[in-house]
Amino acid sequence: MTERTLSHRQRAATLLPVSLLLLVLLPLLLMPLAAIYIFAGSGGWQTFVTSLSQPDAQFSLRFSLLIAFSTALLNAVLGTFAAYVLSKYRFRGREALSVIVNLPVAIPTVVVGTSLLLLWGPIGLLGKFLDPLGIQPMFAPAGVLLAHLFVTFPYMLGAVKPVLDELEVTYEEAAYTIGASRWQTFRFVLLPALRGGLFSGTLLTFAHSLGEFGATVLVSGNLRLRTQTAPLYIFAQFEAGNIEAANAVAAVLATLSFTLFFILLRMTQQPRRSAE
Amino acid sequence: MRSLQINWYSLLKRAFLWSIFLGLGLYAAWPWLPGVGAKHPRAIVVYGFSILGEVMNQGIFPAFQAEWLARSGEKIEFVSSFSGSGTITNQIILGVPAQVAILSLELDALRLVDNHVLAGPTWHDLPYEGVLNRTPFIILVRSDNPKGIASFADLAQPGVEVVHPDPLTSGGAQWAILAEYGSVTLNGGSPEEAYAQLLGIWRNVVAQASSARAARTQFENGFGDALITYEQEAVWDLGRGKLNALIVYPESTILGEHTVVMIDKNISPAERDLVEAFVEFLWSETAQRIFVEYGFRSVDETLNAANPNFGVIAKPFTVKDLGGWVNARDEIINAIWKQKVLPEVGR
Repeated sequence: MTERTLSHRQRAATLLPVSLLLLVLLPLLLMPLAAIYIFAGSGGWQTFVTSLSQPDAQFSLRFSLLIAFSTALLNAVLGTFAAYVLSKYRFRGREALSVIVNLPVAIPTVVVGTSLLLLWGPIGLLGKFLDPLGIQPMFAPAGVLLAHLFVTFPYMLGAVKPVLDELEVTYEEAAYTIGASRWQTFRFVLLPALRGGLFSGTLLTFAHSLGEFGATVLVSGNLRLRTQTAPLYIFAQFEAGNIEAANAVAAVLATLSFTLFFILLRMTQQPRRSAE
Repeated sequence: MRSLQINWYSLLKRAFLWSIFLGLGLYAAWPWLPGVGAKHPRAIVVYGFSILGEVMNQGIFPAFQAEWLARSGEKIEFVSSFSGSGTITNQIILGVPAQVAILSLELDALRLVDNHVLAGPTWHDLPYEGVLNRTPFIILVRSDNPKGIASFADLAQPGVEVVHPDPLTSGGAQWAILAEYGSVTLNGGSPEEAYAQLLGIWRNVVAQASSARAARTQFENGFGDALITYEQEAVWDLGRGKLNALIVYPESTILGEHTVVMIDKNISPAERDLVEAFVEFLWSETAQRIFVEYGFRSVDETLNAANPNFGVIAKPFTVKDLGGWVNARDEIINAIWKQKVLPEVGR
């Protein structure tokens, strides 16, 4: 049934819940988002550009993007590998392992930060042996990367594993019977089928990494021009009362996230549309 | 024909997507690409308590950079982080690479000794025993002072809403507690009266922030009737015509003294000359004048006349009058505030 054939009554019946939903969403989601842009623009274009071109604002955006790119890349490989192992191999403790690798979603990010510090920090379990060697992953870009890898690990897995699980085994078996190795089978049979999942998983990882705060604030040391990511910059500037500076970066971050989300939405809808 | 069209469309879309990602990546990596960024200059890593942000970033750092450039022809960089004094102390204990730390109170420096970050009270070897500058604790109220607040005692009245930084992470908050308590005991009041005033004020605390600066932001965002904070916060804005509040000078209040520490284990031999020159510069007349301009009271009292916005405090006192920081911590902050006031107000 298309919308044109709806009767007046039916249309009224949809109008009510839809407007009710909008009424709820307006103060809950839409207005706060609008506030970022309105505030960012309130000082005029000039103020916005000046706030954004501060060296530390620029650094924080660049640093966040680099970390997000690296996290997405590394977790794309790691996550796919984990999904492949968990989906294609049968071994004792597989169930337990599946639960464990998904844990980062359930653990508060601040706890992730604390645990990383207690492991790799100069007084941490492993860190205290590394510290005398001059190796200090925490309070450095490496620490931020470690935290982001941890926090975003399940997103890749979540995007790829269901596809692997549902994939018909016959193609794989056919590949094996004509003498393909496990790697060849993965490369030429599984990987093409995984493209959609890989893409959305990577994008999701990227987006989460871009916005990560709780773990980063602990492991980075919040050093301007060294380890301060864009979300940390926003928080620090807002706390210091520099609302314009905070808002300019917030607006950019929000726009980036919207764009990513939009692409993600278009991509995940693609297969369904072509199937129609 | 049809398939050709689709191909063009998806090709365009793919090119568009890739150009977005490549563009973002290029933007992100730009300063680090070979041939673009200049070689990284030497840097000094400075951690400071919250209200130092502006004076350091806009005043002290550029002044030292200029002086060092003139002296040695070398361009140097500052890497810094500003938050609550307790927060940065904890971060330094956990191992952040701070070379110079400016703490709100000596107590945090003592904690660095207790945790083996410093070999001993090394800051006593610096000028003025490590005290960089001073700032008294004042009360900030709404412009028309509708509740008629004139003293710490008024803050203990029922119905007054107080914004206070959190003593767990903020050095300013600990100074504030000493001011709230000591302003009674040092002026003829009994310990019971002092306790009653402290309790009354803490019953009225409606918001706590992690640093003095964050508490100020809360107050500016409309929370509370009064804020207890550093005079510097208010005087600096007053000088720029940006103060949307009224400063109330209590008759008697504490003069906060801020301590500089050098963290030797984070200073490599190659950087030592630079870091030492910077620390020395902090007590130079140039630097002290900048602190005065930004609302801190200089350790060199003769410079303070340069800022007309400093108010008059009839009976100021320092932590020495309360028996020093160790004593004040044990007897006032721990024994009274933490063990009696906090349980009483149920926090």
